[in-house]
Amino acid sequence: MSIDDPTQLGALEAAAAIAAGELTAEALTAACLDRIAERDGDIGAWTAVDRERALAEARARDGEEARGPLHGVPFGVKDIIDVAGYRTGMGSPIYRDAPPASADAAAVALARDAGMVPLGKTVTTEFALRTAGRTRNPNRLTHSPGGSSSGSAAATADFHTPLAIGTQTGGSVIRPASYCGVVGFKPTFGRIPRAGVKSVSESLDTVGVFARSVADAAAFASVLEGVDVASPPAPLTRPRLAFARTPAWDHLSPAAHKAGRDAADRARAAGASVIEIELPPAFRDAIDAQATIMSYEASRSLAYELRFCADDVSPALKAYVGAGADMNREAYDEARNVQASCRAALWSFFADIGALITPAAPGEAPGNPADTGSPVANQIWTMAGAPVVGVPGMTGPEGLPIGMQAIGPAGRAADVLAHAAWLHQALAD
Amino acid sequence: MVDLTDALALARAIAAGETTAVAVVEAALARIEARDDAVRAWKTLAPEQALAEAAARDAEAPRSPLHGVPVGVKDVLDTADLPTGYGSPIHEGAQPAADAAAVANLRDAGMVVLGKTVTTEFAMRTPGATRNPHNPGHTPGGSSSGSAAAVADGQVPLAIGTQTSGSVIRPAAFCGVVGYKPSWGYGPRAGLKMLAESLDVVGAMAHSAADAQALAQAMAGRPVAPTPALDRPPRLGLCRSPSWPSIEPAGDAALMAAVDAARAGGANVVDVDLPAPFADALTAHDVVMTYEARGMLAYERTRHWSALSPTLQDAMNRGAAASLADYEAAIATRRACRAAFAAAFDGVDALLTPSAPGEAPAGLEFTGAPEFNRIWTFVGAPCVTVPGLTGPGGLPMGAQIIAGLGQDDRALAVAGWLQPRLGA
Repeated sequence: MSIDDPTQLGALEAAAAIAAGELTAEALTAACLDRIAERDGDIGAWTAVDRERALAEARARDGEEARGPLHGVPFGVKDIIDVAGYRTGMGSPIYRDAPPASADAAAVALARDAGMVPLGKTVTTEFALRTAGRTRNPNRLTHSPGGSSSGSAAATADFHTPLAIGTQTGGSVIRPASYCGVVGFKPTFGRIPRAGVKSVSESLDTVGVFARSVADAAAFASVLEGVDVASPPAPLTRPRLAFARTPAWDHLSPAAHKAGRDAADRARAAGASVIEIELPPAFRDAIDAQATIMSYEASRSLAYELRFCADDVSPALKAYVGAGADMNREAYDEARNVQASCRAALWSFFADIGALITPAAPGEAPGNPADTGSPVANQIWTMAGAPVVGVPGMTGPEGLPIGMQAIGPAGRAADVLAHAAWLHQALAD
Repeated sequence: MVDLTDALALARAIAAGETTAVAVVEAALARIEARDDAVRAWKTLAPEQALAEAAARDAEAPRSPLHGVPVGVKDVLDTADLPTGYGSPIHEGAQPAADAAAVANLRDAGMVVLGKTVTTEFAMRTPGATRNPHNPGHTPGGSSSGSAAAVADGQVPLAIGTQTSGSVIRPAAFCGVVGYKPSWGYGPRAGLKMLAESLDVVGAMAHSAADAQALAQAMAGRPVAPTPALDRPPRLGLCRSPSWPSIEPAGDAALMAAVDAARAGGANVVDVDLPAPFADALTAHDVVMTYEARGMLAYERTRHWSALSPTLQDAMNRGAAASLADYEAAIATRRACRAAFAAAFDGVDALLTPSAPGEAPAGLEFTGAPEFNRIWTFVGAPCVTVPGLTGPGGLPMGAQIIAGLGQDDRALAVAGWLQPRLGA
């Protein structure tokens, strides 16, 4: 096999080529770095890339036995996550002169221990909240890549890297994956360790991944969880899907409605059983409750920045956390009760289905890079702690991607990944 | 003369102009200077910084009912102006870029960070240099060793602790102070070196339940407002718990002394057994803790294995031996415990249970068993240890008050009621 352009390989393909001696980690890393050098002026996905260091690590991996299924494969790291030797910028001027992190975040350490190669840090919105960084959508540079994991999504979509780490508190993995046209995977809440990740909303923050195939995302998440979540997703004989008009449905655009219905039709045509379901009543208040929890907790987790570095906090963030700070304790407690009810109810409607599918974002990417879009399609599922896989395949009226998300109950990621892999293929055919 | 055992009174005196934050910090520093050789509670002290901060607070109107009061910060919480080493040579001298949220909230409330207190290695078992202020031949307990010892020894009126198994309640009991572990999720943990995400809680060491509550409220960014005193004696559930096989004769006697004192004060005390799912709680807690710790300490484990203590290596190996299915089963056990927990409070306001198996063990190597703390941490209940009892070896002992999930005010009110009746 000759490999003209290693950046076009998926992560598992690249690892296989490395294991077979057809490719080196160094050549792959160099190709990714060259692609970044060529493209990132337009895309703006990266905050820092240490070329020499990445190449040195890749060379070291080439001199070793494979330590894991993704040995030698590069990845990007959202800049709210520590990588030893890199300053963690948090998308905020507060940290512009911070010293480099002295340790890797746990997830980064697990990836490196498995033989993977960090390329650098990717752009995040300010503290993974609203205020956008400089990243553009690779499908159309005038448009937003989504956020908050803007750089990780765009870099993966634009073939700078086969894999990247992001985080989701509202919709920060699945939405940018949808806008950029890549696979996003937000595992079950609490599974990828958060040590070394900037805490915004403890009840919601979830580390997730970007890839260009579901199998790659599953493999990467397995490395980051330290256990196999689905390797490879089992082949499905007859996918059992449910299509739901969730409480978010009325907040989605006509383009998303059409994409959702068309995707369900295509899944049926490809042989899936697709039933229509209603969500249990517990989910009715989930969107508001998610917003309550997130703003309440963010206003407290960011205490240092808000109290002592307020001049460098954006007006938008100040307004956002101000609402959270003013929120009374009872409203927060009630929202946590809604969260507990959603988590408990999540299992009930998955007894006979493998995954629920629904649009992954309110529509196509906004035509303003400062607007990273709304998390309304994702909040319910982050709230419920559910494993969610975003898969591309649909296109909106402007010709930009709209993804679908496959959702399952906590702890059943393997099923969800299998159904998502099937759906990804069905939508591509 | 500054009394360093009553934080709220100190703040009132500062607000009234009867003393100053600077004078309080000077008194604390003088006490530390006199006693630090014996107790060794501090990892890092910042005398000049603390005096400068105190002077700045003296120049301001009070920002909270704890304005001007010095506080010790366990060295697993980040501080922007002091190194944070997590009790491990791996991170010795590391300087965080920001304050932990709890620390930022304390500073915002006008409190003065006096320094960082000694923690065991990553808040697990391997001890630091701290000794029990009541007998230097005995452990202060852990992992919040320095915080408990410094408060007990009158070096600082308040200190932060954290608990994953029994790291607030046990050292507080061994050192003879109030320890308060809030309900799980009470306040933000941003900037805390996590050990087990679904267990770690930031808590408080103080000389009274009211002071401990004030510190916890301030750390969480909540208004500092003490819980009203009980208007009647409490109904208490005497709960020996599934941990009872670990009890020592001294612990049994202390529990009975607490029951007698409560009854003498008018409390109704009845026996309470925990609901059935709690039979598996101790096992499940260890699975959750070691499984999560293995992930949380992935950097240290994968890059610096030989710099981990043998005890921590063993915990990492236990975590590795637990499968995802084991972990999920343990999480399911917790869900069942939480769902059933309210039944334990049928007819009682709070549970009364040992804070520790007995007195602080002799020697510094073993910080004591967290057996009487793990179940409550696991389920996420608020816990308060009340001092005032003394064991056969002359060391302090506590009694632990547990309330239902989120019922922190009730736990604190009952503890506040019990404390004078135990004699402290």
